[in-house]
Amino acid sequence: MESTQSTESKIIELKPFTDEMIVNMGPQHPSTHGVLRLELRLDGEIVREAIPHIGYLHRCFEKHSENLSYPQIIPFTDRMDYVAAMNQNWGFCLAVEKLMEADDEKEFAIPERAEYLRVLICELNRIASHLLSFGTYGMDIGAFTPFLYAFRDRERLLLLFEKVCGARLTYNYIRIGGVSEIIPMEPGSIDEQNFLDEIEEFLDYFEPQIDEYNDLLTSNSIFSERTMGVAVMSAEMALSYGATGPNLRGSGVDWDLRRDEPYSIYDRFEFDVPVAKDIPDLGAVVGDCWSRYKIRMDEMKESVSICRQILAEGLPDGPVMADLKAVRPPKGEIYFRSEAPRGELGFYIVSDGTPKPVRVKGRSPCFSALSALQELSQGLMVADIIAIIGSIDIVMGEVDR
Amino acid sequence: MDKYIRNIYKGVYSVLVGMRITMRQFFEPNVTHQYPYEHDFEKKQNVREIPKGYRGQLYNRIEDCIGCKKCEMICPVDCITIQGDKLPKGEQLWDSMNVVHLKDGREIIGILDGDDKDINLEGSLTLTNTTSRLAPQEVIDRLEPSGDESRTQTISGDEVSRVVTRNPVVFYLDQFDIDMSLCMYCGLCTEVCPTECLVMKDSLEGIEYSKFDRTDLIFEFDKQEMYNKNDESSIEAAD
Amino acid sequence: MSDILPSSLFIQIQDASGNWASDFAENVIIPKIPHLPVELGTILVMLACAGIFVAVVPLLPLVLVLAERKVAARFQNRTGPMRVGPWGTLQTLADGIKLIFKEDFIPPQGDKLLFLLAPYVIFACSFAVFAAIPFGQNILVSDFNIGIFYIMAISSVIVMGVIMAGWSSNSKWSLLGSLRSAAQIVSYEIPLGLSILTVVMLVGSLGMKDIVATQENGFFSWLIFRSPFTFLAFFIFFISSIAEVNRTPFDLPEAESEIVAGFHTEYSGMRFALFFIAEYANMFAVSAIAVTLFLGGYEGILPGYDFLGGFPGFVIKTLGLVFLMMWLRWTLPRLRVDQLMNLCWKYFIPISFFNILGTGVWGLIFKTDDIWSIGISCTIIYVGLISAYALAGRVFSRKPAPQTS
Repeated sequence: MESTQSTESKIIELKPFTDEMIVNMGPQHPSTHGVLRLELRLDGEIVREAIPHIGYLHRCFEKHSENLSYPQIIPFTDRMDYVAAMNQNWGFCLAVEKLMEADDEKEFAIPERAEYLRVLICELNRIASHLLSFGTYGMDIGAFTPFLYAFRDRERLLLLFEKVCGARLTYNYIRIGGVSEIIPMEPGSIDEQNFLDEIEEFLDYFEPQIDEYNDLLTSNSIFSERTMGVAVMSAEMALSYGATGPNLRGSGVDWDLRRDEPYSIYDRFEFDVPVAKDIPDLGAVVGDCWSRYKIRMDEMKESVSICRQILAEGLPDGPVMADLKAVRPPKGEIYFRSEAPRGELGFYIVSDGTPKPVRVKGRSPCFSALSALQELSQGLMVADIIAIIGSIDIVMGEVDR
Repeated sequence: MDKYIRNIYKGVYSVLVGMRITMRQFFEPNVTHQYPYEHDFEKKQNVREIPKGYRGQLYNRIEDCIGCKKCEMICPVDCITIQGDKLPKGEQLWDSMNVVHLKDGREIIGILDGDDKDINLEGSLTLTNTTSRLAPQEVIDRLEPSGDESRTQTISGDEVSRVVTRNPVVFYLDQFDIDMSLCMYCGLCTEVCPTECLVMKDSLEGIEYSKFDRTDLIFEFDKQEMYNKNDESSIEAAD
Repeated sequence: MSDILPSSLFIQIQDASGNWASDFAENVIIPKIPHLPVELGTILVMLACAGIFVAVVPLLPLVLVLAERKVAARFQNRTGPMRVGPWGTLQTLADGIKLIFKEDFIPPQGDKLLFLLAPYVIFACSFAVFAAIPFGQNILVSDFNIGIFYIMAISSVIVMGVIMAGWSSNSKWSLLGSLRSAAQIVSYEIPLGLSILTVVMLVGSLGMKDIVATQENGFFSWLIFRSPFTFLAFFIFFISSIAEVNRTPFDLPEAESEIVAGFHTEYSGMRFALFFIAEYANMFAVSAIAVTLFLGGYEGILPGYDFLGGFPGFVIKTLGLVFLMMWLRWTLPRLRVDQLMNLCWKYFIPISFFNILGTGVWGLIFKTDDIWSIGISCTIIYVGLISAYALAGRVFSRKPAPQTS
């Protein structure tokens, strides 16, 4: 309140004036998904501007990679998007394999069994990643219980991963030319049967569970009120910011690398690509927080269906590792992108023919999506900022690398 | 007005649906473990089972180690430090021998009858000059051929988990340190190890790393008593 | 702790004439100490009662905090605290001891006096409410004729403490939280008061004991079934009181995912514990008020029998409502500020006014409560619920279809 007193007329004029308040949300904040810092310019509860500051989790992945041989880089890709580490491994391995294919002298083929294992494990990892996203989104909106339900189910997946590669979070499972043999699983052995049975058991348990989560959270009216029509990212905006994956499909763009540029053996499976639509009944608008969130819930079902197709076919016999003497790609460069749970994960690799790359660049889907936050958040409320961060589903490990 | 009443309906209905789900979960059994108290690893009841091949603490059976430094090279974070000297030409610390790892965890050291290359686990193995693993110097002494019948042992192939051939060691390992505070548990080193002496423990004992001093996390695996101390003078003389 | 004495004493002295305390003093204490004035004796008796009250009531949050954690754990397939005591039953005690020994941090830039005072204001107000709650026929600190009015007045003062805490912390999160709280509590006082008014209109008294006395004829004489409007009023009262005590889905003032911890972000140690105790005491208090007003208070289900009546019955009913609050908390997400206000001003307040109008008409039609009025009321409630259920099942059974290309 600023008061100016006029001496002549003895009238006190009151000029209402509100200050803008600058609040640092993060890096230590319960719902910034790690160490994101948001500089909020608040007018009361209204956010005038939200500037994301990143870099608190920067670990020099790209520079580090220049001093490591190709197999040594794989554990570091685990630490990019630690929620979906299998997909990160795969993205990097795919890029290196593509680079090595250019070399005519050393021909190699990735064994069928390895391809099937890769798809199976990565789709399960996608489920695990989306489960975490669902749970934390519920927690951001204020419902704590879905979070623990999601973690309860994710735990079963982590135990499966632990059985197949010996680690729960940083798997280092998918290798250049195949998958890790650290825990041998002979074709047709009892180990393999147990493993597949366990996956089947999980899928049978999990599929009805998705509907229950939809009842519990997705169609809850408070949840819909909080997320529907909030922070609408139009298709043009999503494309211009380079948003990919569920964020892009949430904006109504029908684009999935698994279907449109199939890599590995994705062309053999039938699956739908969820794309957001307007639902006037409920009030959902294409590109709002709810659509982005719903895409993830639907994608889990598609992943379940892909896993079921693999289980129906059974894993083919044969080795799981290609006959590679040494990983030494020829001189050249490659950019290869794959569909990670959070969007297009690209790796740009420059090789000079030595066992170590000259340059590795990771194209992080979260980084692109996060850059849209500033535009999305204008004029919304503090609580909506949380809803946006949760709906674009960032993992700071990948944003900062 | 229609929308108004619809909104109320929708709100109440979705709340009731959610409440029904949580109430159903109210009567579901627990999924959590009371970790240290349910530490019953024998029965494996309601305790998280550590699967075979879990990537736990690194452990090196130094007796089998040939000091090839492959693990040191592959390690992405340089947590393994190996220093070894080459022995003078013609000298070796011990002859070629075989280590039979039994499935119950025992190890028998001796010299296998027949060729090392084609070990047939379906039949039985015969080891001569068997000895225990406890005293390395003694091992070396007793490997000298003796015709002692009591030291010949026949093992059924069913019991054997694997057979490792210990080649004549020409390295003298000064230092084999693993800094577990740096280790990122990628397991690359255990894959490249030719003698499979570097392993990751897949038991719970390898999961506890609380130490008051960070240097306590550097595990030293070289055992000086393994080598004949008296020979040091001769090694120096050879230099 | 000592802050509670003046408020409750003040009330009792107001009501001293004919009070059981003065009777007790005259009959028991004066014969033993002949020269003691009656007033002094009364005050002594009251002090003793207040002492017992202050000592016993804080045990309630101790139990409730544990209950909350256990219930939450069950809803989430967990066990909750299991370490301290058998099945973790002493966990809150251990937490309390830990909080007592923690550093009592005071923000150096803040307003020290207000910062120190705020927890006491909240604590004292939330406990003063208990003075007017009739736990049983004779378990009542003070039965004065404006009981429910007093409760409304005292519980509104809590918002002062919240604003003091938020302002004096000199933290932006605290400020945001306290202002949210102020807006919320002030708004939700209105539907709360209006739903109480429906009850008061039917009973014709503000005294808590009078309100309970009209519900003595068993289950169907409870005020919730007296008219369809009180039935609605009960739910509005209950939901508004959840908002009043800042619990999910209305926990915006302390929304941990948005504004860290809201108004008590900067508090630590025993002061934080006071906030915590006050929150759970409040939770119990509003449930107790709801039971008193709508669910028969300490009166039993069947007329003439003590089944689910008396003090145990009262506590069971109250804990049932507390459980309902916990159930809601562990199911629902949180509303946004504007939606919270929408809910209050667009839905609760109009419905409350409608309720008051309806109750007035109902009171005109049925001058006394007889079997006809209660029968008609129950029929209307039953038919309404059934039709709502059928309609809701028909309209909302359609789930949002998977969005596929």
